[in-house]
Amino acid sequence: MELVDRYLYAVKSGLPKGQQDDIIAEMAEDIRSEIEDLESGLGRPLNEAEVATILEQRGHPATVAGRYLPQQYLIGPALFPIYLLVLKIVVLWVLVPVFVFVVGPIAIATAAHPSKTLIKTLWDLAMSQVFTVGVVTLVFAIMERYPVDARPFEKWDPRRLPRVPKTVPDSRPTPRSTAIAELAAGLVFGSLLVAWFRTTFDFGGVHVTLAPIWRNLYWPFLLVVLSSVPKGWVSLMWPARTRLRFGIRAAIDTATLTLVAVLLNAGTWVDIAAPGFPAAGIAEAVKWTNLGIKITLVTMAVITVADAIPEARRIFRKKTSWNYSIAT
Amino acid sequence: MNAELFENLRLELRRGCLILAVLAQLRAEHYGYALRKALADRGMAIDENTLYPLLRRLETQGLLVSQWREEEKRNKRFYRLSSDGELILQQLLDEWNAINSSLKRIIDGEAPVGELQLERSI
Repeated sequence: MELVDRYLYAVKSGLPKGQQDDIIAEMAEDIRSEIEDLESGLGRPLNEAEVATILEQRGHPATVAGRYLPQQYLIGPALFPIYLLVLKIVVLWVLVPVFVFVVGPIAIATAAHPSKTLIKTLWDLAMSQVFTVGVVTLVFAIMERYPVDARPFEKWDPRRLPRVPKTVPDSRPTPRSTAIAELAAGLVFGSLLVAWFRTTFDFGGVHVTLAPIWRNLYWPFLLVVLSSVPKGWVSLMWPARTRLRFGIRAAIDTATLTLVAVLLNAGTWVDIAAPGFPAAGIAEAVKWTNLGIKITLVTMAVITVADAIPEARRIFRKKTSWNYSIAT
Repeated sequence: MNAELFENLRLELRRGCLILAVLAQLRAEHYGYALRKALADRGMAIDENTLYPLLRRLETQGLLVSQWREEEKRNKRFYRLSSDGELILQQLLDEWNAINSSLKRIIDGEAPVGELQLERSI
């Protein structure tokens, strides 16, 4: 019976303290009864392989011991949906926006090496999320074991729910791909602008110098580029809140048009110096480059307006009414 | 997939029935192995990893009482229904019979018995 002893010893180590001896005594009796039952049927003692088969059928010691544990889960089914909701709020709606809109921009703007700071900020965000998930899980695990009476999701009054509006906006949710693209574009172009902004460029002896207006508008430009991050964020988190999205977009478009207008007003945007090249040729190059920039700026303004009109029409078109009323 | 689904649903269906069967069988005193055999002999086989934790839970809930006693020169733990257990068993049997009757009417496609009873407290 050494096998049985080994089995019981293994089970015992996984049992709750204080009940170990009691459970093992009962289990030993049960196994012994089963073995005796089989032996009396066969008319001979069981061999080691047959005893091993019986024990195998009873299950792995850890599994068997686990059945006696008071609770099999960390967070039970009653609390789990609330746990998920809290995680979503804390991690996605608080932590990420705080990093993306506050911690990150401040760290990058004041850093000596913006690209390194960006990577460090992303790493800090990931670590903060891991820590937050751990803390929230711990809190809910404690709540599961020491339940409190005032669980907000259990005590509620239907009469305190907000009234259904007489009309609801006709808002098709913004596609997730659009939202992600906006977020990525804002982060990538913002980072590039921060890391590689210069006012002079050297192309093999040809020096292109940006007019002072570009340096003066650096921060407004950065703000406009980065503003697609909150727009993408709103679209990702609340895809149906198209009005909020449009509000942000209208602000961005207005800022873009203002910047374009200020730039156009400057009249000259680049200067070119190329020692060794004929002066007349350089003047022609400056003239055509500035013309190209002017056309680009005007095109940009036209596209901004043309792109905003269809969305504005969609947002402010006739609203549909609530179609699910069962009021009597 | 179907076999697995069926097995899950079967276990779900059996879970409540097992409690009823154990409580009913323990109207007479049994020790663990004898209880297992008695249930299996009546077509309600239950494996030891389910039975013993269940017995402990029911005892903690006050529905069973147990006692270690020597029988045939061996120590065995005997279980029987407590007075609270008897009361609960009767209530559960009434509920079981009501469910059984309802199911039969539903499966046979019989007409409703009475008006819909709202069980929610208003």
